[in-house]
Amino acid sequence: MNTSPIIDFFLGQGVPFTTVILILMLPIIATFIAFLRQVVGIKAFGIYAPLIVTFAFLATNGLKYGIAIFVTVIFSGMLMRFVLKPFRLLYLPRVAIMLTAVAILILGILVIGGEFKRTGLAAVSIFPILIMITIVEKFVAVQIEKGDKAAIVLAIETLVISILGFFIASSSTLIHFLALYPWAVLFTIPINIMLGKWTGLRVSEYFRFRKIMKNL
Amino acid sequence: MFEFFRLSRQILGMNARNLKYIRPFNLSRAKKLADNKLLSKKILAKNNISVPKLIAKIRTVEELENFDWQSLPEGFALKPNRGFGGEGILVVYGKKKNSDNIWIKADRSSVTVEDLKTHVRNILDGSFSLSGTPDIAFFEERLQLLKLFKPYSYKGIPDIRVIVFNKVPLMAMLRLPTKSSSGKANLQQGAIGVGIDIATGTTTTAVLGKNKIIEYVPGTRLLLSGIKLPYWNDILKLAVRAQEISGLGFLGADIAIDKVNGPTIIELNARPGLSIQVANLAGLKERLEKAAGIKIKTAEKGIRVGKDLFGGEIEEELEEISGRKVIGTVEKVKLIGKDGKEIEVEAKIDTGAYSTSIDTELAKELGFEKTLNDFENISLTGYIINPENESFIKKDILEKHKESIPDLDDIAIIFSASGSSIRPVVALELILDETKLFSKVNVTKRNDLKYPMIIGKRSLSKFLIDVNK
Repeated sequence: MNTSPIIDFFLGQGVPFTTVILILMLPIIATFIAFLRQVVGIKAFGIYAPLIVTFAFLATNGLKYGIAIFVTVIFSGMLMRFVLKPFRLLYLPRVAIMLTAVAILILGILVIGGEFKRTGLAAVSIFPILIMITIVEKFVAVQIEKGDKAAIVLAIETLVISILGFFIASSSTLIHFLALYPWAVLFTIPINIMLGKWTGLRVSEYFRFRKIMKNL
Repeated sequence: MFEFFRLSRQILGMNARNLKYIRPFNLSRAKKLADNKLLSKKILAKNNISVPKLIAKIRTVEELENFDWQSLPEGFALKPNRGFGGEGILVVYGKKKNSDNIWIKADRSSVTVEDLKTHVRNILDGSFSLSGTPDIAFFEERLQLLKLFKPYSYKGIPDIRVIVFNKVPLMAMLRLPTKSSSGKANLQQGAIGVGIDIATGTTTTAVLGKNKIIEYVPGTRLLLSGIKLPYWNDILKLAVRAQEISGLGFLGADIAIDKVNGPTIIELNARPGLSIQVANLAGLKERLEKAAGIKIKTAEKGIRVGKDLFGGEIEEELEEISGRKVIGTVEKVKLIGKDGKEIEVEAKIDTGAYSTSIDTELAKELGFEKTLNDFENISLTGYIINPENESFIKKDILEKHKESIPDLDDIAIIFSASGSSIRPVVALELILDETKLFSKVNVTKRNDLKYPMIIGKRSLSKFLIDVNK
């Protein structure tokens, strides 16, 4: 593979190639998420959650295991809300109990995966799993603020963005391009300045306000 | 397609709201004021703005333990100081019979002191503020539902959201709590938002939840449009004054109408939602841009500008310019009879007729029975009815009978294709589209016609007629 001198320099210092590429991908995925929020109107749980889930997907062996873990986390978060509601617990202890429940459930999933000879699931390294478990806190916060329905919608949006991000970040064309022109990531800055000044309607708002449009 | 994008520029989206209006016009100090209910209550009250009266507040667990629950009145609202979206609000309506420390909620379930304590503890711990920061709980007087709103709202009190910018009220909406919003006046939770005409305070179109256009209160035949809100000018003034005091350049003021105290500010909002545009089926951005360039010193001027620029439908504008009211071809008319008796009838507006005429039976009901009977008894057979004789016949009959027949005001001679006739004329007071008219009307048999009354040109000088209405 052709690489730019700066990449060669990193490699020479002992930084693994995948690490360099993942770090260069970070601003691109972040910009992509910002674009989806400001121009398309997909909210998700802020910028951090879809970003980190994207990278968790990249770090699991194959997208399907990542999605399985994500869905398990959200599902158990939902379940635990109903279980814990009558106890009227304070926020942090409540989240702690939820994390416990999610952790146990994930462990169960890994065991079941082993039973069915899905060794790929058990082979997923611990960090992406931990990352996704922490998403439950975001989920709970939104549940309290905006209700169950909104929380599920945002979780699905997060999942969709992360899957798209996964495909962008694992595109071999983009990886080759970044290896050749790593400086290109700096272009995300002017793009984000433009996004930050964008005052037009979002695509989702054209849909939301379509009835007004008919009436104007 | 091009037209579509041009129209969409009238609508305020999230990006423009945040970047162009909230960021530059709602400075952080003003935002803090709006987010702190106790502080905004205090400052508004200081400026003689009506707010729900504060009964007590609980800041710490210690204060909670020492709180005198007997000091609470029969009805009150318990709220978190920094709550959002109506979360954590508990309202009780009265005490349970023969009981000192059990209150009743709107759904008739009871609330004990223990329940109240748990709720306050949750507020203090910050369960209702997202960041989980400790909060203050406070009790305030419960507002009382206006009779007018009773059929429209499900438990809870409706409120009126007014968007104010540059001292101009831009747009308003009435929010009605529903069953699915569990008595909360919050669109996101499924309340009804009803658009309001800024000029008149009359409701127009309505939206259920965030996007469903409706005409009636769900499950009923109660029309949501055409509700005339009382105290409309006071409501607008309250909203504009709240903006002046709070320093929020782009403000969403929430105002409830209390049965006793009238319009009362319940909350100031530094980040008003965008659904108000759907309720009104109108764009906010266009209005913001129009209101931005005008120099406005007083609240009164701001309200006038708001009403002129954004109020009313074309019809009202036309009425304002021409000084005339627009009516349709059939209108309800209230007739005021001899001894103040009022009868409402549907009248045909007929620009082909010169004078106004009513049915004999109707005239009798209005108290002209004797006039008509006496007129019947005089002999009209000697007259040859043609235009040349008109003034002679009139003069002759009036000379002979004006004194003897009570309330006979004049004689009308009608020439028409279906036959000419001599009719008695009486003076009547009538009210057409809220306008009082004194009119001379002739009386004839119209019982085989669709409308008991036609209104002719002579009574219509103050009106414009819209045949589509």
